[in-house]
Amino acid sequence: MKVLFVCAGGMSSAIVVNALKKEGEKNGLNLEVLAVGTQEFASEVQNGWDVAMVAPQVRHRFDNFKASADEANVPCSVIPPQAYSPLGGPTLLKLVQELVK
Amino acid sequence: MDKFVAFLENNLSTPMAKLSEQKHLRAIRDGVVSALPFIIFGSLFLIIAFPPVPADSAIAEWAAKHIAEILIPYRLTMYIMTLYITFGIGYSLSQSYKLDPLSGALLAGGAFLFTTGVKMVEEVGFVLPMANMGGHGLFVGMITSIFAVEVLRLCKTKNITIKMPDSVPSSVARSFEALIPVTVVLTVMTLITVVFQVDTHSLVDKAVAPLIKAGDSLPGVLIPVFLITFFWSFGIHGVSVVGAVARPVWEVYLANNSAAVAAGKIGSQLPHVAPETFFQWFIWIGGSGATLGLVIAMLIAGKSSYSKALGRTAIVPSIFNINEPVIFGMPIVLNPVLIIPFMITPLIGATIAYVATTAGLVNPTYVMVPWTLPAPIGAYLSTGGDWRAVVLVIINITLSIVIYLPFFKMYDKKLLAQENTVEVSNGANIPS
Repeated sequence: MKVLFVCAGGMSSAIVVNALKKEGEKNGLNLEVLAVGTQEFASEVQNGWDVAMVAPQVRHRFDNFKASADEANVPCSVIPPQAYSPLGGPTLLKLVQELVK
Repeated sequence: MDKFVAFLENNLSTPMAKLSEQKHLRAIRDGVVSALPFIIFGSLFLIIAFPPVPADSAIAEWAAKHIAEILIPYRLTMYIMTLYITFGIGYSLSQSYKLDPLSGALLAGGAFLFTTGVKMVEEVGFVLPMANMGGHGLFVGMITSIFAVEVLRLCKTKNITIKMPDSVPSSVARSFEALIPVTVVLTVMTLITVVFQVDTHSLVDKAVAPLIKAGDSLPGVLIPVFLITFFWSFGIHGVSVVGAVARPVWEVYLANNSAAVAAGKIGSQLPHVAPETFFQWFIWIGGSGATLGLVIAMLIAGKSSYSKALGRTAIVPSIFNINEPVIFGMPIVLNPVLIIPFMITPLIGATIAYVATTAGLVNPTYVMVPWTLPAPIGAYLSTGGDWRAVVLVIINITLSIVIYLPFFKMYDKKLLAQENTVEVSNGANIPS
């Protein structure tokens, strides 16, 4: 499964990405996860992702992200604040799996 | 309490954050951000030209002798930052209108060049006065870039364009499509700057002078600091919202300070206190809200297993000023106990840094280095190697620990109590 994260600069979500990857490994899932900044999102989302996750601190830009994701037919959702932490892996994985369904 | 928070979020923070998504503001922000790598590269040469070593050392003597050459990379990047920024604004704005971004970028850059006042110099030929392409010209560049792209859009929406038959290759067709807007924009620019000889730069300078002055005052520093932590308290990226409006002013300060250094001024002779680097290194230590102090408080006083675990995972990112794990993990967002120190600490840190800088105890910042450096190193480099800046950072870190500690202990007690009750039932240790 390919998961794309977007946050302001692609830095903070890199930490959350690791939490998600670890949780995926625990569950025997092969996850390909990438974190990008807001400026790269519109073009990157076109590259065959299964799901796009928007960091909570840039949720005021969600409409823009959603529009680009819709163009590429990628389901897109805001990460709930509680899940956006290095300890939020389990919640995050659940959310990703629900979105892909 | 919950109603009050919901009221603030629905009526204040979210609408304000959405406002920063306005197309022109976003284009300006993206334009400035796209120039940052060039600014960082160029400003490093200021450190080489004015190395933080004794004046009689061999390195300092070498640098003093070759200063003009050493500063050439700086002159071609940071010194003319507005030229880069106009391309960025033009690109981003036309992209948001779904116009050809390359045409928009080129037209924005071209329109701006007309304002710089080309001159004929004997033995050299025609020259562009570079000073007008620096921070000093930034507001002119913002206006001309927006003008250029708006004309481009108008021509597109009103279908004022030269249509080519379908058999013409698309790249050829596109170059003709841009011909009418380019002609309109550049003819207007020619009329303003060549025919009527309007000095757009001094006009705009006069218009923005009050803004430039206000942003460099103590209230001008404290208001953005307050707003940034206010937005983060709701979990919205404060710098990205406030920066959309404030960043052009901050970059003008940075450009003016660095130009003053390149012209041989030092320390308190620099014109401005508050470039973006001032906020980055003296106030946002560990990230917005100066949360390095909170993470250190977690490590020294944490009793609950949750805050111990979070402290351990958050300390490394915090040293590099990445604090989303703390803001969302602790959480600080919508947490009435921790929002208090989260908003107070930066205000106090900002006041101390402001007073220290205006009193001449610490050099104003003029070098931009990547924001992910640890604060003492960043502060040292951005002040051109002033050890007193490191002392200031350490004072502000100590202070932030002292302010965060009692609030953290209060919250940690609550976490510990939750853990104890939850453990009895199912042994989990993550608070709700």
